[in-house]
Amino acid sequence: MARSTTASSQQYLSAAKPSGYRQVLLFLNSKAMIAFFMCLPLLILIIGLVVYPFFYAVYLSMLNKAETEFVGLDNFFFLIHRSTFWMVFKQSLLFALTAVFFKALLGFIAAHLIHNVPPRGQRVWRGLSLVPWVIPPALSTLGWWWLFDPTHSAVNWLLAEIGGPHIPWLSDVFWARFSIILVNVWYGAPFFLIMYLASLKSIPEELYDAAKVDGASSFQRLRFVTFPMMRNIISITMLFSTIVTLANFDIARILTQGGPRNTTHLFGTYAFKLGIEGGDVPLGAAVSLFMFPVLAVLAVFILRDVRQRAARV
Amino acid sequence: MAHSLSSRRRFIGTTSALGAAAIAAPYVKSAHSAGKLALGLWDHWVPGANDVMAQLCETWGQDNNVEVTVDFITSIGFKNITTAAAEARARTGHDIFSLPTWQVTIHEESLVPVDDMVEELAKQYGPYDETAAYLAKHNGTWRALVAPTGTHTYPMVSRLDYFKEHAGIDLQELFPIGHRDQAKIDSEWTYANFLEAATKLNAAGHPFGNPIGPTSDSQDWIGPLFQSFGSEMVNADGDVTVDSDATRQALDFMKELTSVMPPDVYAWDDAGNNRWIISGMGSCIQNPPSAWTVARRDAPEVAAQLWHHDTPSGPAGRYRGTLPYLWGIWDFSENQTAAKDLLMWLSQKEQTDTLIRASNGYDLPLRPSFLDNTVWESEAPPDGVIYNYPGRGNEQIIVAGYPAPPPIAANIYTQGLIPTMVARVTQGGESLDDAIFWAEEELAGYSR
Amino acid sequence: MATQAANLSAIFTKGKSTGDRKWSLYASYFFLVLFVIFFLFPPYYMLITSFKTNAEIASLEGNPWIINESPTLEHYHNLLTNTSFVTYFINTTIVTIFSVAISMVISVFAAYSLARMRFIGSSILAMGIFLVYLVPETLLFIPMFQIVGGLGLLNSYWSLVLVYPTIAVPFCTWIMIGYFASIPRELDEAALIDGCNHLQMLTRVFIPVAMPGIIAATIFAFTVCWANFIYPLAFLYSEDQLVLTVGTVTTLIRGDVYHWGGLMAGALLAAAPPVILYAFLMDYYIAGLTSGATKS
Repeated sequence: MARSTTASSQQYLSAAKPSGYRQVLLFLNSKAMIAFFMCLPLLILIIGLVVYPFFYAVYLSMLNKAETEFVGLDNFFFLIHRSTFWMVFKQSLLFALTAVFFKALLGFIAAHLIHNVPPRGQRVWRGLSLVPWVIPPALSTLGWWWLFDPTHSAVNWLLAEIGGPHIPWLSDVFWARFSIILVNVWYGAPFFLIMYLASLKSIPEELYDAAKVDGASSFQRLRFVTFPMMRNIISITMLFSTIVTLANFDIARILTQGGPRNTTHLFGTYAFKLGIEGGDVPLGAAVSLFMFPVLAVLAVFILRDVRQRAARV
Repeated sequence: MAHSLSSRRRFIGTTSALGAAAIAAPYVKSAHSAGKLALGLWDHWVPGANDVMAQLCETWGQDNNVEVTVDFITSIGFKNITTAAAEARARTGHDIFSLPTWQVTIHEESLVPVDDMVEELAKQYGPYDETAAYLAKHNGTWRALVAPTGTHTYPMVSRLDYFKEHAGIDLQELFPIGHRDQAKIDSEWTYANFLEAATKLNAAGHPFGNPIGPTSDSQDWIGPLFQSFGSEMVNADGDVTVDSDATRQALDFMKELTSVMPPDVYAWDDAGNNRWIISGMGSCIQNPPSAWTVARRDAPEVAAQLWHHDTPSGPAGRYRGTLPYLWGIWDFSENQTAAKDLLMWLSQKEQTDTLIRASNGYDLPLRPSFLDNTVWESEAPPDGVIYNYPGRGNEQIIVAGYPAPPPIAANIYTQGLIPTMVARVTQGGESLDDAIFWAEEELAGYSR
Repeated sequence: MATQAANLSAIFTKGKSTGDRKWSLYASYFFLVLFVIFFLFPPYYMLITSFKTNAEIASLEGNPWIINESPTLEHYHNLLTNTSFVTYFINTTIVTIFSVAISMVISVFAAYSLARMRFIGSSILAMGIFLVYLVPETLLFIPMFQIVGGLGLLNSYWSLVLVYPTIAVPFCTWIMIGYFASIPRELDEAALIDGCNHLQMLTRVFIPVAMPGIIAATIFAFTVCWANFIYPLAFLYSEDQLVLTVGTVTTLIRGDVYHWGGLMAGALLAAAPPVILYAFLMDYYIAGLTSGATKS
């Protein structure tokens, strides 16, 4: 083995000697090399600002509170014995899955509605529907918060006018969870809408015509034409959104600060509470890293999907 | 409100090398502080307070040939403590940083010892309040001074008219400007009496309202309340002591009190009680004078009926919550001598007085001998509205979590353990035993 | 075009007669109005709150959904003259423009390379790029303190230009891979025959053809960079460096005092640039997404 390596390198050297510069240039000019260089900025960005800090955070999560001792997985074992942590764990899943489901559902319905009206009117509906996604959520959540304010709630005023109940939006466990999901759905549904609308537009009309000729009912057309054609985009957007929603920070942070009784804490807000407010950075990092088992499952799905996509490329 | 919002960051240039000797500082001041200093201070919400602070720093900087930069960093969204974490970790940033309550404990290792300064100031003006030592002195070493700005406490803020009309209590008479009858207060202003009054006020449609949630205002009234029943979550030795008769009593009391409070208090943030009293619905809250100040702007007729006064007492005494700010010097500061000089100068009574006045009396120095500022007598309406804000009676100033060892107490406070325990009983309907068991479990995790 | 709407009857109608079509259309409008009310009532409420006086905002009297007393521009005036809002606005614009430009350059090059060329590990990279989103910002910002501090960028908005591409690039690259992949191979071959090298092919053939995809990706990058909250919260503190999301909040909430009118005014002004951008580029956005993201 060793010999052959030496031989080949000698060969390389001897070959390089007369026209080394050129050789290098040729190598650098090869298609693979150019391709690599084109990806280099991406690699530097991801390795420097995602991968490295990520592993650093993993390292942090294995230190004691004062960050003076390496404690292995103790922080993780500590967490799995805390009831509050499991509550946060379940809440995060509940929040992410419910919010994503409703974002997708509302986005899907609204996309069809817009697709159904004459093209000239579509621009306006589309534009109006996209407003929530365009206002920075840290600021629009403040608006929601003011709408939900216990004493000044304009929503409750409206409910009172029509004889409805006074809803404790942010103080009751159910309603507080409902509220953070609602705000997230409100903010995120337009993104789904636009993705689905784009997808609907790419479905060839002939497919529907063919289905109609075959006597397919409207439900059958939805089931056998629309869904299959949109399957990919639906799964991709839902997966993407689940990841982002699971890591959500600002909505719960601003609206409920995790209350009442910690029942609206998510991974992000709880990690911040422990790490920054409580000064236990390793434990906070451990909480954030607990998202990973959940996310890893999603990652498998994404990878499969992306691989299929890559195969087609 | 307007003008204080502008230009919070200032660059203060050096103008003269003269006048270093003009500062009368008994502290053994270094002969020549020079160079640059950067301060990260709490962004004061009182209009104009930041400007006065910046002005003082500028004056000192000119006299000492130091280029002083001041950043006023808000506590909103935990901006200030996030920045503190960033600087401690990156080991770069300001020289002096204004750290709220628990941040000195958290960053203990990154702060320069200031024992000599604390000692010198104690010689001049007498010692700090005990709470200061609890929060800033760790393992026998002082890591910070009490900031002259930002520190505030949580007295009761009550409607004089409602209390008189519906509860038959004349708060102005009980907590007058000037001489008070402490024996009368001790017999008439207890939590039992307060509950009675709160019940009547609720019946009249003007309940007592205070948040019971994760934010700091919640800790700052419920923590002292539990203390006044004798309930300690963790004792000074670090033993979990939440399971006690005192805790049960306090929880029972909260059950009754919450039954006459608005049901939304579990969602109130730090401004929830402010809005409650300003809206005219509430009869009483616990808050520093900021609620009254806003009422003076937005609802003057409400403001004119407000009165700041002592908290009620319980079986184990009378306690009031505080949220102190402490000034530390980062150990990565390259100009520690100048930082100490400036800090020392600002801690003098003259400067502190100026700053208290600039805050309209909102800031409370945690040093009893500094409480003779006339600003607390002169604010109005009504005349003397915050006379009792500095604490004229026998209240002890504490932070929620006290007397647990500070790293544990920090968790009790930041994770809102006490309000959460209360809410589990009063809102979640858990039994006292279950809630206490839950708290014990949580506390076991805090001392890791 | 007339047939285009037909598929919607999938949801709302059973038959195919014109009468039913009409009703399906009415139903669509009806539900669209409901949707739009849901989407727009919070911004509407923010808008009218921004025109109310402080006293009216604090008051519990009257209908909160209308302006009962005379409307005021006080909050806007205050925001623009007495606060650093304009500075935040400029900072945000600078940060966003640079971040988006950097993100797009990185994405377009990478996407071209990953969609059209091969090197060792390129397929893994094409797959792995999306996994970046699995690492949450709430975990990253603490280790980043050291990186940002080490580069001397703590409290400098350039720190955001450094980190924002991490949130924009993966999605943009993904859209662009899809878009480039949808461009027929014959185009490359023709270009190669004409003697283009890879860089020329990218700039002369692919970028012009993929413009809708680039615009879609740019708008996405713009939106996320403009709206990010946690990184400026973590890295910036002084008034001359702050950006809109954090600056508006820290300026207008003072202690436990909320300037609701100003906050709402600030939120709406902060939302204006993205709204305008979308209003103008929406068609490209849809077109770009149609070929880029959805043809997978």
